[in-house]
Amino acid sequence: MQVTLRIRRFNPEKDQKPYWADYTLDNVEPTDRVLELLHRVKWEQDGTLSFRRSCAHGVCGSDGMRINGMNRLACKVLVNTLGEGDALTIQIEPLLGLRVIKDLIVDMEPFFEHYRSVMPYFVNDDPPPEDGRERLQSPEDRERFDDTTKCILCACCTTSCPSFWANQDYLGPAAIVQAHRFIFDSRDHAAEERLKILAETDGVWRCRTIYNCTMACPREIEVTRAIGEVKLAIARGSVE
Amino acid sequence: MTALATTVTETLRYRGKVGQWAWVLHRLTGLGVIVFLILHVVDTSWAAFYPSDYEQAIREYQSPLFTIGEFFLVASVVFHALNGLRIVTLDYKPEWWRYQERATLLVFALTLLVLVPTFAVMLDHTVAFYTSDRDIATLDEIVQTQSLFVMGFVVILVVALALSGLYGLVTRSSQGVKLSGGWEATLWTYMRVSGVLILPLVFGHLVLMHILQGVFDIAGVPELEVVGTNAINQSGTAVEFVGARWNALLAGVAVWRIYDGLLLALAAIHGFNGLRYIVNDYARSVWVNRALNWAIFFGVIALIVVGAAALIAGADETAYKLATDMLSSVQ
Ligand code: HEM
Ligand code: HEM
Ligand code: FES
Repeated sequence: MQVTLRIRRFNPEKDQKPYWADYTLDNVEPTDRVLELLHRVKWEQDGTLSFRRSCAHGVCGSDGMRINGMNRLACKVLVNTLGEGDALTIQIEPLLGLRVIKDLIVDMEPFFEHYRSVMPYFVNDDPPPEDGRERLQSPEDRERFDDTTKCILCACCTTSCPSFWANQDYLGPAAIVQAHRFIFDSRDHAAEERLKILAETDGVWRCRTIYNCTMACPREIEVTRAIGEVKLAIARGSVE
Repeated sequence: MTALATTVTETLRYRGKVGQWAWVLHRLTGLGVIVFLILHVVDTSWAAFYPSDYEQAIREYQSPLFTIGEFFLVASVVFHALNGLRIVTLDYKPEWWRYQERATLLVFALTLLVLVPTFAVMLDHTVAFYTSDRDIATLDEIVQTQSLFVMGFVVILVVALALSGLYGLVTRSSQGVKLSGGWEATLWTYMRVSGVLILPLVFGHLVLMHILQGVFDIAGVPELEVVGTNAINQSGTAVEFVGARWNALLAGVAVWRIYDGLLLALAAIHGFNGLRYIVNDYARSVWVNRALNWAIFFGVIALIVVGAAALIAGADETAYKLATDMLSSVQ
């Protein structure tokens, strides 16, 4: 099949403002991934096209972008999920709410700053167990936060959120998911501090339960649910 | 303003699902209802303080412009209320998120289900009114009175902006208005609890004011038995209609005053806090953000004070007389 990629391009060193550029590719297999098409454009047609990717297998989270109007990972989207027929147009643009550095590359620093602000690390100052092995936890306790361990920090959720589009001070779904992962970990001792950070005006309360984030997550994390659980923990003043 | 412009254009461009559209509607309907409520409480207070102005206000509410607005208002309240219940449910049961899409479709369906018969009855009242030979306020009159409200809003905004600018110059503060986490959590819970309490109150209010009797019965129908009371509206004035409701006693208790007071307090705080959410999303400049937050804070206090004062003062024979005189002067 033939696919036209409509890509939102911008090079701040030479363009006044972003523009759409079309690239036509022949002999596309319906099972090709969008990332492969981007590679073909870059390698066969226009070497100046810029985008991030690393693992190409949905693990590193570098290639989040807006594909046909929805945030996803280019390396996880098959062409045949975007349409059928002999000719297809696929529209690709950078994530929204973060500054565009070039073409599909956005400045992730504000995103990571929010991530760091929720203490996304294990806190427990008790001495380690006598036997020198790991701190044990029941399977049920581990299950409690299993879902939110899956986050790869691709920013698809945060940049799908209308609250974040309006206001980049909002910590955003990804940071809250990361906080959830530690808040509900029975071995961690800093839940209270994290809940305090998340209770601020720019924390969880900016979430309006729109569910764009849940739909966008390439790891199928139940994002809005995790945010909801954090809200309840704050409102009730306790983790369960 | 760029935050608002980006949100509007990108919400239209982003392929969000039904949850995104429910949010857009929830926000727009909430905004519409709180703007109406501000006008409505100020207007209603005139029944106590400026009877002839209240009479005029109701005359204007009975004109085509407001009749159309009323259909939008009722639709807004119904959708916002039902969708609000969906949000509250999912907030307290986040694990039910898989049903959110179906729940939203259910909200749309229920909204239609409620609105179809409601609109049928309202249309009936409307047709009856416009085919009778009742007196209708002209567009000129409406522009005259309502421009006062618009000016009022403009003055409040200009004053708030000026004060905020002054404050910024003096304190060199670069902070917008931010509440503490404790307050944010409390208000979040308040939005949910108040929403659930407002629902029966506002639906009851709308049944009285749109279905059993309509805006068209509030004034101009002689010898009408006022809904929810045993009183007869002798003068046929809007002021007497309101006075009769506020003065009605059930086992010695002024039930409608209490009812109106509850609705007033719950809805005003709910609506203004909703306004604050919207302002904090889109007013990103510190100066404007502070001005609007101040306007909201003093606005909600002012509205509750004005509304409560009217409920306490009530309307009596002297007021009915003033209203009657006013009506005979325009007819
Ligand atoms: C067009 C639709 C409406 C009409 C015609 C209407 C009519 C009235 C009337 C006649 C009163 C006087 C008191 C009484 O009779 O109980 C009143 C009071 C009141 N209404 Fe409505 N109403 C409408 C919609 C609403 C809505 C949607 C709300 C809530 C958001 C609302 C909130 C109130 C409150 C709080 C008061 C008490 C005001 C005060 O304390 O002075 N009304 N309304
Ligand atoms: C009838 C029952 C009502 C229910 C169940 C209800 C429920 C809710 C809920 C749960 C929210 C929070 C939404 C969120 O955080 O995502 C909300 C927001 C809001 N409500 Fe209501 N509400 C009701 C009536 C009203 C009334 C009468 C007004 C106006 C006076 C109003 C104005 C607003 C506004 C302006 C917002 C903010 C919307 C936003 O942030 O997008 N609501 N409502
Ligand atoms: S390239 Fe690593 S997630 Fe797509």
